[in-house]
Amino acid sequence: MDILAELTPIFREVFDDDAIVVTRQTTANDVDAWDSLSHMNMVMAVEVKFNIRFALGELPSLRNVGDLVDLTAKKLAKK
Amino acid sequence: MDQFILNNQYNIGHICTTRQCEAGLGDKVAMRWLSSHLEQHDYTFNELDRDSSRFANVLSGLGIGSGDVFFTFLPKMPEQFCAFLGALKLQVIVGTLFSNFGEEAILDRVGDAGAKVLITKKSFLKKISRIRERLPALRVIILVDADEHFSDDILSYGLSMSEASDHFTTALTPPETPSVLHYTSGSTGKPKGVLHAHRSILMQHFTTESVLGLTPDDLFWCTADQGWVTGTSYGIIGPWSMGVTQVHFGGGYNAEEWFRILQEQRVTVWYSAPTALRMLMREDVELYRRFDLTSLRHISSVGEPLNPEVIHWARRTIGKEIYDTWFQTETGAIMIANRPGIEIRPGSMGTAVSGIEPAIIADDGTIILDETHGNLCVKVGWPSMFTTYLNSPTVYASRMKAGYYYTGDTAYRDADGYYWFRGRSDDVINTAGHLISPFEIESSLIEVAEVAEAGVIGVPCELLYEKVIAFVSLHRQASFSRELELKIRLHVTNKLSSVATPHEIICVDSVPKNKSGKIMRRVLKASYLGTDAGDISTLED
Repeated sequence: MDILAELTPIFREVFDDDAIVVTRQTTANDVDAWDSLSHMNMVMAVEVKFNIRFALGELPSLRNVGDLVDLTAKKLAKK
Repeated sequence: MDQFILNNQYNIGHICTTRQCEAGLGDKVAMRWLSSHLEQHDYTFNELDRDSSRFANVLSGLGIGSGDVFFTFLPKMPEQFCAFLGALKLQVIVGTLFSNFGEEAILDRVGDAGAKVLITKKSFLKKISRIRERLPALRVIILVDADEHFSDDILSYGLSMSEASDHFTTALTPPETPSVLHYTSGSTGKPKGVLHAHRSILMQHFTTESVLGLTPDDLFWCTADQGWVTGTSYGIIGPWSMGVTQVHFGGGYNAEEWFRILQEQRVTVWYSAPTALRMLMREDVELYRRFDLTSLRHISSVGEPLNPEVIHWARRTIGKEIYDTWFQTETGAIMIANRPGIEIRPGSMGTAVSGIEPAIIADDGTIILDETHGNLCVKVGWPSMFTTYLNSPTVYASRMKAGYYYTGDTAYRDADGYYWFRGRSDDVINTAGHLISPFEIESSLIEVAEVAEAGVIGVPCELLYEKVIAFVSLHRQASFSRELELKIRLHVTNKLSSVATPHEIICVDSVPKNKSGKIMRRVLKASYLGTDAGDISTLED
């Protein structure tokens, strides 16, 4: 499964911007509507999409989309 | 204070730019811009004056003039400052919107004000396009990141500015000329437009000097967004009225980046918010030890009450004082403050600023003696006092009683003249310094097809001061799930804003109401906190 490709439509919906194209290097500084509060929406949208749950302690270490992809892949592998 | 004004020219845009150049500061750095990736670009007062004049000419060329309304809908970026000051030079009223606002929040504000021009980014155009037809007065949208005009009414900022003249003579602007417009939430109804006048600069200048303690040689950093009154009063007007260099950073909260900025830019005075300071408190203490903050003289704070623990933490870990200040959108400038030169009483709002006469008043209008809590009021007539709630004169009148403005906050004063915040006299939620109307969130929630009823409350939060909790009951055919919770969250975020999005959504069989159908938020709060709900005799069966 190409998790990164699946994230672009999620980001577009969550951040209400059809022009978003996410890469592994994308951070909150690259998306205008991505703040600490909308971040929780994004996390929940990823959880719902992939039917996984992140632990609270796992989230602060995410530095960019690449880290999110890797963590999601790890969760999916454990299923 | 009036000696600050020269030749009866009260124009904020003129004083913050042209006058600084005339005073010989043209080549001084006005703004050190740091992008979200920490790329640096300095703007001198000459450049700020030139670019704001160009923008005044852009608006003038569009047929916009004195008394018209213009809005900024941008994240923090240099163009916002030039547009803000340029519009003020032209005596255009400037409204500022948080960049995290959703379409309903934009519609409520831009529509109510009848704004004719709005400046934004391409990434926000989708939101505006969805409501454009409901904004008949909105003639032109200017895009800061478009290289070419999109159409006759969606224009490129860069192209428009390149074609505009550098020269603009600001008309003599009397003190009562309308200037800045910020919307604020009440516990009922739509947000109200708080309209200020150019005379506010008197108080903003005075408090920047006497409360924030700035001198012309300082390097000042105010982290507030320009959508907030702090972001305009102290992120633009006050410091630049003194010719002070300001740092502005385009990125969000990041403890390491913030400390790097404080150290490398040699920031001398820092103005931030309790939520941000509490977030810093949670960082590993090793982080602070890596940075040299000897240039930083002190920190000031505004937005919601500052816990004593934060003050003690700053003394202990970075050896700095934090001075808590209090003001509101309506007051336009700081009214009560801890500040250099007076003893800090941790947890207090401080003492009244010189010339300001606060009072604690009972519900029956009696002025209350010290040590007893009541309505926090301010005697009318201070220089930065708002002029009205736009299109809501009756609400304005209801807040003015017997020569006092009722702030909606409750507090008490101790025997030494220090004020101590107690809470709100209404249901308005203060989360991370933003005042949020539960009514607005409830209205947004019931727009979701599955939601039948909604009740929203604010509850204490260690980080945000208060957090938003939503109770929803669903239509019979609907069931609560993670998918529905996400749908509800995205709806509120994209219609209102991310700050209005509930931290928790609790599904209940029914939302408690009184016999006239009013939501009993008091009962919801007691239920959530596990406290006594008090008299529930009026609760609907």
